[in-house]
Amino acid sequence: MREFAVFWGCTIQARFPFIEKSTRLVLESFGLPYRDIDGFTCCPEKSLVNNVDRGAFVLTAARNVALVDELGLDLVSPCTGCVSNLSTVKGELNSDPREKAEVNGLLREVGREFKGASKLQHLVPFFHDTVGIHKIKQKIKRDFAGMRIALHYGCHMIRPSHALKNDDPLNPVKFDNIIRGLGAESLQFLTKLMCCGQGLDRVDAHDRALDFARVKLKELKAIGADALVLCCPSCFLQFDNNQFLMEKEGEKLGVPVIYFTELLGLALGYDATELGMTSHRVDCSPFISKWEALSRRPSPSASMEAGLTGPSALG
Amino acid sequence: MLETRLNFKLLEMCSRCGACYSICPSCMNIPGYDPREVIRDILSGDHERWLSSRHIWECLECHYCVEICYQHYGFENAMTALRMVAAKKGMHPPQVKRGWDMFVKTGKLGEPALPARKKFGLPEPKASGGDEFRKLYALLKEKRGEAK
Ligand code: SF4
Ligand code: SF4
Repeated sequence: MREFAVFWGCTIQARFPFIEKSTRLVLESFGLPYRDIDGFTCCPEKSLVNNVDRGAFVLTAARNVALVDELGLDLVSPCTGCVSNLSTVKGELNSDPREKAEVNGLLREVGREFKGASKLQHLVPFFHDTVGIHKIKQKIKRDFAGMRIALHYGCHMIRPSHALKNDDPLNPVKFDNIIRGLGAESLQFLTKLMCCGQGLDRVDAHDRALDFARVKLKELKAIGADALVLCCPSCFLQFDNNQFLMEKEGEKLGVPVIYFTELLGLALGYDATELGMTSHRVDCSPFISKWEALSRRPSPSASMEAGLTGPSALG
Repeated sequence: MLETRLNFKLLEMCSRCGACYSICPSCMNIPGYDPREVIRDILSGDHERWLSSRHIWECLECHYCVEICYQHYGFENAMTALRMVAAKKGMHPPQVKRGWDMFVKTGKLGEPALPARKKFGLPEPKASGGDEFRKLYALLKEKRGEAK
């Protein structure tokens, strides 16, 4: 496996350092060759920067990719937006030599060069494709058998597919495969692929953002999901923070929101406090207590084993 | 300006299709959000009124329309083009302006939360590329003949 730099992005480091914590714990447990490198900026956030100045969007992303290009590293990020934006620009420049030359003309003046050779991956497809589900199964101490998990892919984990090329953009399976590999049921529900709607919170449309959160959370409550699992800080903000704001207004939906790295961390044997899950706004303890109750119950195979090791037909 | 950003031939096809309307999350959940109307107006040279509409900012850039589109084009191209024109005229929402200001000043949309890092035992954050970014952005503006 090639060494890779982790691209944390602005939101995780500024607002959710506990996500960085659980990501590091998981990367270390798997002994993955990751590095932190100097010099990254915002990826940049597309809806914001691209709308105002397209040139700045392309140049900034190209510079970030140039940093890993230079060091001969790949890049992995626990943020869907970052990977999607960086990949979009990488794809565009790699298919447009003229634009690439123009961008490199500017980058050269600060001593950089965009080659566009490094692999850019989001953490979920990275675990699926590069680490592999069999490896995950070998490593975990406890699975989630009996738990009912609702997945939220996050649009930018899979789209735009021409840039990301990592899953079916309309019927993705990789995140589901991992959740099933962890022993949980991955629920299928109507709003599964619906956009979280957090973007509305960035354009002064907070109430609309809440409308979007409500649609999905209500469905999850109705189908009795034990948790909503996702791997994007923007989606996390939408479902954890905004759910909490709704709760404060008297609308209690009570759906724990769990980051992919936290779920993996639990399976690896870390506890919720170590993983920073106590920093969530919406209480995760219903998920944890159900899981603990399940593990106290003897596993279905226990009685079978007792039968095999107890007094046998041969005495 | 719209002409250089949009492919009117593809939009022409769009105006006779509308398939992505039924998969677009904003069409489904925001009353009055309908890119088909926007596209009709763009084609008839009548897009001005949309520049001040909040609807152009309600496209989530979820890229659903691009993926389902038989032209791999999508509603969002029309919405993005209008947002860019609106932003050039300074008509973007205040929150977008604030975010942009922070971005050009620091190269980031937020700095690492240091006390929390300590609490979780996280290492010192790596150096930001903010300075180099500002230099690069100044070069870009210079090249475009804009004031520094
Ligand atoms: S990108 Fe915009 S227009 Fe396209 S489906 Fe998503 S919200 Fe609708
Ligand atoms: S963007 Fe594509 S799918 Fe949507 S209306 Fe236009 S042609 Fe049809």
